[in-house]
Amino acid sequence: MAEKIAFTINGQPRSVEVEPDMMLIDVIRDVLDLTGTKHGCDNATCGTCMVILNGRAVKSCNTVVTKAAGAEITTVEGLAKGMELHPVQTAIAESGAVQCGFCTPGIVIELVAMLNSKPNASEQELTNALNKHLCRCTGYEPIRDGALIAQKVVQERAAEKA
Amino acid sequence: MEYKYVGKSYIRPDAISKVTGKAVYLDDIRLPGMLHAAILRPQYAHAKILSIDTSEAEKCPGVVKVVTGKGCTFHYGDNIRDLVPMADEKVHYIGEPVAAVVADTPKHARDALAKIYVTYDPLPVYIDARQAMSEDAVVIHEDMDKIWTLPTLKLMPGTNIANVYQVRKGRSADGFDEAEVVLEGEFNYPFASCAAIEPHGSIVWFKEDKTIEVWSSSICPFIVRDDLANSYGVPASDVRVHIPDIGGCFGYKSDVTVEQTIAWIASFVPGRPVKWVSSREEDFTSTLIGHGIRTQMKIGAKKDGKLVALQVKVLHSTGAYADTGVNVTMAATHNSTGPYEFDHCDLTGYTVYTNTTPVGAFRGYGHQEVHLAIERMMEMLARKLKMDPFALRSKNYLREGSVNALGEHMWKFNGDVATAAARVQDMVFGHDKPKEDDTYYYGRGFAAVMKSPKGAPFSTKGCYMKMNTDGSVNINMGGAEVGQGLRTVVRQIAAEALKIAPEKVRVYTELDTQFSPYEWQTIGSMFTMQGGRAIVRAADKLISVLKNTAAQVLKTDADYLEYDGEFIYLKADPFIRVPVTDLARGYITEDGITIGDLAQAVSDARLPRYASPDKNGQGPLGVTYTFGAQGAEIRIEKKTGKVLVDHFASVFDVGQVINPLQIRGSVLGGVNIGIGATLYEEVIFDEDGKITNPQYFQYHIPTYKEMPKQTIEFLETPDPIGAFGARGIGEHSVLGPAPAILNAIYDATGVDFCEIPVTPEKMKKALEALKEYA
Repeated sequence: MAEKIAFTINGQPRSVEVEPDMMLIDVIRDVLDLTGTKHGCDNATCGTCMVILNGRAVKSCNTVVTKAAGAEITTVEGLAKGMELHPVQTAIAESGAVQCGFCTPGIVIELVAMLNSKPNASEQELTNALNKHLCRCTGYEPIRDGALIAQKVVQERAAEKA
Repeated sequence: MEYKYVGKSYIRPDAISKVTGKAVYLDDIRLPGMLHAAILRPQYAHAKILSIDTSEAEKCPGVVKVVTGKGCTFHYGDNIRDLVPMADEKVHYIGEPVAAVVADTPKHARDALAKIYVTYDPLPVYIDARQAMSEDAVVIHEDMDKIWTLPTLKLMPGTNIANVYQVRKGRSADGFDEAEVVLEGEFNYPFASCAAIEPHGSIVWFKEDKTIEVWSSSICPFIVRDDLANSYGVPASDVRVHIPDIGGCFGYKSDVTVEQTIAWIASFVPGRPVKWVSSREEDFTSTLIGHGIRTQMKIGAKKDGKLVALQVKVLHSTGAYADTGVNVTMAATHNSTGPYEFDHCDLTGYTVYTNTTPVGAFRGYGHQEVHLAIERMMEMLARKLKMDPFALRSKNYLREGSVNALGEHMWKFNGDVATAAARVQDMVFGHDKPKEDDTYYYGRGFAAVMKSPKGAPFSTKGCYMKMNTDGSVNINMGGAEVGQGLRTVVRQIAAEALKIAPEKVRVYTELDTQFSPYEWQTIGSMFTMQGGRAIVRAADKLISVLKNTAAQVLKTDADYLEYDGEFIYLKADPFIRVPVTDLARGYITEDGITIGDLAQAVSDARLPRYASPDKNGQGPLGVTYTFGAQGAEIRIEKKTGKVLVDHFASVFDVGQVINPLQIRGSVLGGVNIGIGATLYEEVIFDEDGKITNPQYFQYHIPTYKEMPKQTIEFLETPDPIGAFGARGIGEHSVLGPAPAILNAIYDATGVDFCEIPVTPEKMKKALEALKEYA
């Protein structure tokens, strides 16, 4: 039976009708047409479907939609402010970390969630986070480069504000 | 050479749309009235279909139509027309489409599949070419005598052999009488999946006006277009194929893969677009897989290490359909020499039908597979001759003055494998190897590599270029962007050729056969070379249009004029000039009368003198090769048998680096794919022909933590064909990892592996066997 759930996604309050067994990814992609969140596998292995749910990066393909009731959700579409990209987006675009781009939204989301909660995350913490994502194109090195550049920018901006 | 824009790093034109999630891939496309398909796959890998009952499925919620293969009268295929869009009387492999449901949602379509009832009469299943070639094997395709092929191919009806390709050079096998030492070996490169993160998908729409519109995650829109036009009897111009952004290819989105099946399904619901996106499992079982090549190799040499004769038998388990695999067999066969010269070659490639998922291209088109053989053999031969393996190789490299297996003469401009090898030797062997300790064995290995182009006599790449009145330029081409970064390459080559800043060059985004210039398909590391040449040709034509108009304005002859990106000016007096911005739409004279042509140009380029093979398999491929060398430093954990790659070095002679950031990225990723093949990846079929590991958590591709440190360098011996001297590099980086790592395993432990993947279990078993033997 369809039920109504409400949440805030990319700053917008939304109320949608869902089947309770639907996964969050299906609501995001097919109900809300936010197609930046990708579907790369069917069992939470590849990481392309990552979204930020209440401040934590989660795989939306194995998150039952009812878990999102009342939650704050950020998808890759919610990161840029108008024409101004999030520093993670800029760093990932410039470091060579983008090839086919299919894993990119998940990785961007992962890094944003990580640097929001832990701007001084250790390299090991970044490694553990990025190890949740499969990339077939880049060999990962440019992703690491982008992550480290992004972290530096985030830290500098935090220092400027303080 | 120093160029203004070529050889510098620029950000990809598609980077921003990809980091913001706005890039549109196949599954992101929504069309009005769109329906969704789900496909039923068989329970048997080889069986007669006795009956299909669709009546229950038709009654399921949301179902619009249930489709079977009944009544399909055509076969399709580009090389061997052996493919059908859906099985009718027989299934030939476990991923074959048997029936499909079209419904209002993907879930409704999937749910109804369980209500289709099929009965089968199972037949024997052949996984390996050697089984399928045995004399008493059941014939997988009984109708082979009716199948069309390219004139250069020859099916063998009544057997499971789809093609036999032979290359004979010099005195062929007789040349072994000149050899003083002979070495034989057999090597296996098993089935694998390209496993791009974006799965395959298509949307097909049969319209009431008898046109067909298609969207697909394919790199060959023109082949899809021509193939569908042929199957449905409509003009090619009435089939419109769009290619959105593609989330990785590595080979298995080339050729026609899923499009004909989705078209067949959609043809039953005319007027409605039908979308199908493969599950991860279907991406493994039902698109294309790679490799499946067993190489039997015999080398004859002189005692001083001079190579004399090579005999190779490539046994290719090509899968249930051979259309996409036959060229892989052929490329594997004639490149089995590796980067070495043999006076006498007797090379035979068997393309063999098996009850497995059809094999297609996988980054390297047969080259990975035979490089494992030749580069392991060189190491073993050096041991047998008691020679330094580097000295043995160095004595035999293809270089200026040598002749390759196809009879092509090698020139200095084909590149410098010896220097590449020396650089890698220094990077990997130039320091002391760590000594064996309680935990690890340490080893180092090397491989020299070569890759030929893969084209077709008719393969060409088109380019359309127009200059706008502000001097900016739009470029449209048919090259598919799969992640390799060709749009950046187009932008930089065009900027260099037109002498304008890259920021003034806007490169096409999607492909659309209605607008895109013709391109055969974007394969074989050919785009930078051929596409680059097409861009230079178009730029030359465009500049010539500008000059012809300026000649009228400046009242002189066009050949007295020069172009600098901003002006057309008189060479004899550069003050006499006209800005290109005044010429782009033709030149408007004082009274408004406009003279001259629009500043636009069309061109194309193919490889020079690319030819079909003759009866000895000889035929020039356009004399364009990229040579290189790769090396690995590894550790083997004694307790687990786990092989860890600590450092991987690659040096390629690419003619000219176009974009340093991108070319490094290409090699980094290719090496990772090669390491995956060497240590982890195999699509495993059980004896019934079922794939036992069709998911990422079962089929392990390299992860972040497994990336090695990489050292990458490029040599730049300019090429005469490619734009500004650039050669292909897309596939080459995957060729060396398997032989280099297996050579390193020998160096570390004395164990000779002849097949991959070397999993910890296999390594541990080999180490235990070694201990027992000792």
